[in-house]
Amino acid sequence: MRISVIRTGGFAGIERRAELDTSERPDATHLAALAHQAVEKGAAAAGRGVPDGFHYEITIDGRTVHVADPHLSDAQRELVRTVLKEGA
Amino acid sequence: MDAYTNSRRVFCTIVPPHVLDKLSHHDDPLVAGPARRTLERDALERTRRRITTVRGVTATLEGAPSSKPRRTIYDAEHETRLPGKKMREEGGTASGDESVNRAYNGLGATFELFLNAYGRRSIDDSGLPLNASVHYSEDYNNAFWDGEQMVFGDGDGEVFLDFTIPVDVMAHELTHGVTQYTANLEYFGQSGALNESMSDVFGSLVKQHVLGQTAGEADWLIGKGLLAERVTGVALRSMKAPGTAYDDDVLGKDPQPGTMDDFVHTSRDNGGVHINSGIPNHAFYLAATALGGNAWERAGQIWYDVLTGGDLASDAQFTDFAQLTVAAAQSRYGEGEEHTAVLEAWAGVGITDLGARGER
Repeated sequence: MRISVIRTGGFAGIERRAELDTSERPDATHLAALAHQAVEKGAAAAGRGVPDGFHYEITIDGRTVHVADPHLSDAQRELVRTVLKEGA
Repeated sequence: MDAYTNSRRVFCTIVPPHVLDKLSHHDDPLVAGPARRTLERDALERTRRRITTVRGVTATLEGAPSSKPRRTIYDAEHETRLPGKKMREEGGTASGDESVNRAYNGLGATFELFLNAYGRRSIDDSGLPLNASVHYSEDYNNAFWDGEQMVFGDGDGEVFLDFTIPVDVMAHELTHGVTQYTANLEYFGQSGALNESMSDVFGSLVKQHVLGQTAGEADWLIGKGLLAERVTGVALRSMKAPGTAYDDDVLGKDPQPGTMDDFVHTSRDNGGVHINSGIPNHAFYLAATALGGNAWERAGQIWYDVLTGGDLASDAQFTDFAQLTVAAAQSRYGEGEEHTAVLEAWAGVGITDLGARGER
């Protein structure tokens, strides 16, 4: 399973993107479960969010969802944090 | 009937006014009718907003709004539930947590500038309590305004430090609240970049007010002190020289343009709201430094007049805003150096032909 995250917006307006392949990881099952929960609650199109809030575009095996701070589920936040290797 | 109602709703929210204007003169009454009605309703809503704004100044629901802030700082305790644990209330003793104290002082400094310089009593001009949460999430490289309160992350310590360090960052967030209660600039495209620019302008003015700096003495940087030591950069944005705040292996290069020639067309970041804000930011810098003295006095007053005056549409473009600043300079200060400084400032960023209103 390929998971990619693009983060845009934020106070700094600096874009971040990263991708991982779960097949190379020992926590593949856990990540697949998070990914499943993450796309379930995401929106198909990007909203405007709150001023200076981060926007996240999460793509899992070709399916993309959009989420924005502060309305991330725990699963979405953990997934974003794992893929970007940065606090979310 | 349903289809008709729906099409009107779509007209109302998505089609820009200039397109509606053209449609309203269409030969087919089925096209012209709804467009004209939408334009009329839009005008009505703008008038209502203006009335609300004007009434806001004199609103006395429970006596006169306080000239003292009502601050509460919370600790999100590295979670994302807001607001979190209450740490310090108005008038309370200092906390053992420096982030809490910095947020408390930063909100106070912002309240003070708006009150002392413009007579504004808090975000809504009616004494709205100011709430902020610090230590949001873990290693969180951001701060934002969620529509009701300010939220600050600690930074990851690698690239960003604590977002409560620079007073201009805290003032930036609080100004998003002021904008929400006044012009309510849509957070997308040019109106979104104007919304961002308002926050940078008043964020910088709060810092200058705290430090007692004139326009000539100020550094005009946004987020100085926020970048970790290893980052090659001085701040996140420069109003004096947009595009020069940082150039770093990890962060990349500051993408801000300073003139319309370099306007960035992008769908990311809500249409580049944090990028193209460099253009109106630089215009403010040019106006303020041309006038000299305390930037929050004349230049700041003109910008504040436009933000809160009721004529600034929520979908305003740079030219609309520029025209209103020229008019505000004239109505407050006459045909003097303020009027000239504002015209030349916009010309300096490539926005010209501002003489006659309504001409674009």
